Parts: sequence; structure tokens; C-alpha cells
Amino acid sequence: MRSLTPRQFSSYCLGVDSAARSNAVVVPLRPVSTPEVTKRVAIVDGALACIAAKGLRLTTVDDVARASGMSRATLYRTIPGGREAIIQATVETEVARFFSALAVAMGAANTLEAALVDGITTSARWLSNSPALTTLLEVEPWVIMQHISFGQMDRALALAVDFTGPFFGRWLEPAQAARAADWAVRIVTSYLSNPSDTIDLTDQIQVRDLLRQFVLPGVHALEERNRS
Amino acid sequence: MGQVPDTREQITAAGYACIARFGPTRTSVEDVAQAAGVSRATMYRYFPGGRAELIDAVVTWEYRRFFLALYEALRGAETLEEVMERGLMVAHQAIEEHEVLQMILRTEPEILEPALSAEGQPTRELVAEFLTPYLERHELRPGIEVDAAADFLARMVLSYMGSPGQWNLDDPIQVAELIEVELLSGIVPISS
Repeated sequence: MRSLTPRQFSSYCLGVDSAARSNAVVVPLRPVSTPEVTKRVAIVDGALACIAAKGLRLTTVDDVARASGMSRATLYRTIPGGREAIIQATVETEVARFFSALAVAMGAANTLEAALVDGITTSARWLSNSPALTTLLEVEPWVIMQHISFGQMDRALALAVDFTGPFFGRWLEPAQAARAADWAVRIVTSYLSNPSDTIDLTDQIQVRDLLRQFVLPGVHALEERNRS
Repeated sequence: MGQVPDTREQITAAGYACIARFGPTRTSVEDVAQAAGVSRATMYRYFPGGRAELIDAVVTWEYRRFFLALYEALRGAETLEEVMERGLMVAHQAIEEHEVLQMILRTEPEILEPALSAEGQPTRELVAEFLTPYLERHELRPGIEVDAAADFLARMVLSYMGSPGQWNLDDPIQVAELIEVELLSGIVPISS
């Protein structure tokens, strides 16, 4: 798991059939690298470059074709469905890349505290290092905010809990693991959408101290319940 | 109370009434001017940005009103536990039953952006400030600073009340459990 880079992981994901692909988090049995996959990744990376440069609204199919160095015809053949489909492929790929980075970090953790700290800092680093996401939060925040506001956040929470729950499951019962995962996701989304002057979520020591103060006592209470 | 509302406030309140009646998409500057009893010229003097600026103002106005009503509802709460419990339940219910908010979420949720992003910071600070005296009166675990605890609690309260996820915030037992573990376990000593 540790030798897999996010890019490799996403290539793997994109090689599986489209039903599984829409599920974003799939660990396939063997690596797949075909010209189609390579083209698809080039389009997605082209789209990300365009979004990073000028946001989502102003990004056209022509821009993406130019940025990914291929003709409109090749682009439409590789990802049929036009602009909408390109955006969807881009989001799915980025989500897969994000979760693969998270899996590497959480999979390597040896304690529940490390799983929480590394999961949160890896998420924060990945999200704050994404040029496309940074531009969106600046120029079209609603594109992101709508997914973490009110009832809409339930979907994001469910996805993140399904994915990270099993990692916490090494130390907690499934129901408690889901609670811990839900809690951690809220910490990441809160500091992402509403940065703090005093706490940098990409800083491992600061996150560890924050969690030791406000989160770990509760997580240990959940652990205790497993035992009783 | 007894105060003459200024024109800007009057237009904003009329804007809210129009959005409640017609929905955000079908509310025009003319509708609001008519409802507020002002001319189009006056309207544009106060809101030179037109419809978009007016809608931003309405959203921000109602957002503030929502929190003021919430504080009012929590006035009698004495302990930290009590204010958290009632606060989460009342706020969640108020969001669920806020017909205008729910309609906006269904039809034109993007108009909420100014309230949720630019206003996000002040809201968190407002909630933290509100919780501070409750924290000051409560026994805290060793090493816990009131400011840091208030900030953390405000973040979590805002997250859970808007998006409860797997929690049922209409159920007092679940709310008490959420508060005991996720919200307060690091802040207050374990109760005997």
C-alpha cells in the first residue's frame, strides 16, 4: 500500500469498469495502463490546470483540450458527454487521489491517535496543496461550500465515514469507528472552510495537541465502551 | 422596539418577505421596492449592486436574526451542558422548520454563499463568545483554555446543527450522548 502513489492509484481506479469507477474508491486486483487511461488522466490533469487558472465557470471544453494537448475530437472520444462528463471525471479522479493519499497515511498508522492525526493532517495537506481547490475556494467558493453545508454535507460525511471507518476499525467497534470518522471529517471541513488563526491543520504537532485536548478523551471513552 | 427602522432595514425586511412569498428566483427588484414602499431610485441608492446585492443583504440579515432568536431561546440556560443541549436541539429544529431556508436550499442554494463563507468567521466567533461565560463558570479539565475550548465547541456545534449526519438531533438521549463524548469530553472533567 505504501509504495503506491496517488497518481498510480487513480490510474488503477480508472482502469476498472464505469460502474465501479463512479464509486471512486476501488482497489483493483491488477494495474491497468492503456492508452485510453493515459489520455483520460491527461484530460483530467488538463481540466485541473484550467480550473486552477481561472475557476470552473470559465473553463471550456476547448480550454481543456488545449491544456491536455489533444484535439477536441480525441477528447470527446475519450470522455463522451462533453463538459459535464469531463468535470465529473475530474471530480471522481481527484476524490480517488485524495482517498488513496489518505489510505496510505492511515494504513501506516500504528495507533488510534496516529490514525487520527495522520488522517487529518494528510487530508488538510492534500486539500490545501490542490491548486484547483485553492482557486475554487477563492473565486467560486459555492462550488465547494454547497457540498459541506446543511443536508448536502450528509453525502460527503457518509462517503468519508465509509472510507475511513474501517481504518479506525482496527481499534474501535464499527459503530464507534463510524462516530470517530464522522467527528474527524467535521474537524477537517470546519478548518478548511473557516481557517483558524491559531491552528494549522497541516501541522502534525498542532493537530496532535488539538486532538489530545479535545478529541482523544472522547475517543478513549468510546474505546472503553468496546471493552465493557 | 419603538425605533423607526431605517430605510435600508425596511427594504431588507421587504426583500425577505418577497423571497418568502415568491421564492428567490422570482423575486425582482421591483417587487421589493413595491413591498417596501420605496421608489426604484431609492432602492438603487441603498443597493447600487441591484438584485444580487439586495439578496446578499437579505440573507445576511436573516442569518443574524436567526442567531439572535436562538440566543433569546437559550437565555434561561444555566450550565454549559444545558446550553449545549438546548442549543443543538433548538437550532437544528429551527433549521429544519425554517421554510424559507429550506425552499432556498431546494431552489437557489447558491444565494446562501455570502452567509456561509464571508460570514462564516463572524458566526463562529459569535457562537464562541456566547459559550465563553458558560465555560468560565464551569469546572474545566487541567490545561484547558477557555478561548481554545470556545473556538473548538463553536466549530463543532455549527457543524452538527447544520448537518447532523448519522445523529438524530430531535432525540434528547442522542443529543446528550453527542455532547458528553464528541463535544465536552476533552473540556470538562468526567462527571461522577
